[in-house]
Amino acid sequence: MDKKTIRIALTKGRLEKDTVNLFDKIGYDVSQLRDKGRRLILDIPGSNIEVVLAKAADVLTYVEHGVCDLGVVGKDTIDEHGGRFFEVCDLGFGRCRFALAGKVGNNFYEGCGVKTIATKYPNITRRFFESKAMDVDIVKIEGSVELAPLLELSDGIVDIVETGTTLKENGLEVYEYVSPISARVIVNPVSMKLKKNSIEELVNKMESNI
Amino acid sequence: MKSYDLITPEGTRDLLFDECVARKEAEDKLRAVFTAHGYSEVITPALEFYDVFNNKTRSFRQEDMYKLTDGKGRLMVMRPDSTMPIARIVATRLRDGVFPLKLFCSQNIYRCNPKMAGRDDEFMQSGVEIIGGDEKRSDLEALSLAAQVLNSCSSDDVRLEIGDNTFYKLLLEKLDIDDEETVRSLIESKNTPDLTQFIKDNVDNAPEKRRYSEILLQLPDLFGGAEVFDKAEKLFAGTALSDRLTELKETFDALRKLEAEDKITVDLGLVNKAEYYTGIVFRGYIEEYGQAVLSGGRYDTLIGSFGADDMPAVGFAVNVNAIASANLRSNRSTKARHAEVLVFAADDDLIDGISHCTKLISKGISAEFSTCPTLEAAMEYAKANKISKIDIIDKEKNEQPVTMTL
Repeated sequence: MDKKTIRIALTKGRLEKDTVNLFDKIGYDVSQLRDKGRRLILDIPGSNIEVVLAKAADVLTYVEHGVCDLGVVGKDTIDEHGGRFFEVCDLGFGRCRFALAGKVGNNFYEGCGVKTIATKYPNITRRFFESKAMDVDIVKIEGSVELAPLLELSDGIVDIVETGTTLKENGLEVYEYVSPISARVIVNPVSMKLKKNSIEELVNKMESNI
Repeated sequence: MKSYDLITPEGTRDLLFDECVARKEAEDKLRAVFTAHGYSEVITPALEFYDVFNNKTRSFRQEDMYKLTDGKGRLMVMRPDSTMPIARIVATRLRDGVFPLKLFCSQNIYRCNPKMAGRDDEFMQSGVEIIGGDEKRSDLEALSLAAQVLNSCSSDDVRLEIGDNTFYKLLLEKLDIDDEETVRSLIESKNTPDLTQFIKDNVDNAPEKRRYSEILLQLPDLFGGAEVFDKAEKLFAGTALSDRLTELKETFDALRKLEAEDKITVDLGLVNKAEYYTGIVFRGYIEEYGQAVLSGGRYDTLIGSFGADDMPAVGFAVNVNAIASANLRSNRSTKARHAEVLVFAADDDLIDGISHCTKLISKGISAEFSTCPTLEAAMEYAKANKISKIDIIDKEKNEQPVTMTL
């Protein structure tokens, strides 16, 4: 990587779109980003920024290893996977919450049996119940987690809830909120120190255009 | 049953040829710097009792250590660090020795890292400890040595960054914060948005506290060059933190006189291992590696935790693997080399072949006795290994060795 180049990894999908809009607002030339075809590394002409498109958890990995200087990634991914990087800015978009949910009308905490929880986020789930000193069985699900309580595989789910429509349409409700989520800017610790000025400039621009 | 006899465990690796040379070179360079400065080497066992690393002031999480048991069922660990064993030695065998002690250590350490994250579970660490010395002098010595170590990495862009966790500890005290771990991880990750929220939720807004919570909130952003001290002086003025800031500034200025100014930076948000470090903390970065390659600080209560009297101590450790792989990648390390001359002897002249080899080596020429069965095979071997000369010993044809240049 050229010394003056700043490489930023964006989480593909919605966060990518929101970040590209933010770049547009800052005044960067985002033509390549909007018309990207199948390319994974893109330039912002007229700037020293290079954009990399990656899956959420990979954004953390690329930034931790310093092959990307910065990344835009959801707080959900950071909380689930962790890593050694700075988390410098809350971009405000991609806002939603982690919640514990289950069938409407059930009292989740009733009884002393060990509960089963289905989730795509086993680490967050484990930490949440650890903080309550509760032993739970965690079942990792890859797709629609809402199915698990409906099929009676689990007593509840821990998942991202945005509007709650999916829960409602499937006869589920939120029992308790776990933590808030939004898009964050993360920075590699060495890049932060060695490229302080250009990184601060970019982060400030992003922050002031939210 | 599945057998794992063809691969190495995750996080470990075989080092071959160039990789070996690169690591040896990096290690030797550091050893040369340390011995030239009067440090004495110690070697500690790779196996230690778990208890050495399990104590409130010794910051190793049990899930980060490789554990096994000895014949009596006692819990052992593969050493996750060299400083605690050294503290153990100082508190026991060296207890009545001559202080200050200047020790260095260069050995492999073992950590159970999260899997598939591309981190080394076994890597070489070289480091120094200055124990029982005057605080100001020791800090400056350790820092200037750290700067020289970074310079010896021959990377184009290096930084030595200093900080002091006294500020952070004073702030916690003033603000009565219980959940130290959360605050620390927020400051460590420079997570201002969540830190703001945390302070809002957990610190009461009494006027005498407001000043300190304002400082705590700024802490992660106080990093960079000399301008950081100007900012911090204004922010800390009249508080319990300002004396320590003056001292840190003195150290910083002294270091900048010794080293190129732009290589020395400050980060007042360095709060890693706060239960262990008791004052100055520092880190070293090189351009080619994504995490700190050097890390250290002052730890005045560690030796006391082994039952001796508390003793001022400061030290740092360098990740030798990281430096070696950076050097290897940027072609700064020497390539592994075969001998200059390959000696091939005919069936009846093996003894003469071996003595010819020895003779060449005694003249300072590296020579390899060929174990190939035929001259043709030896020539192929020489070609494959970029050996340009073959000395052929065949007394039937020639009394003297014949040199063939490839």
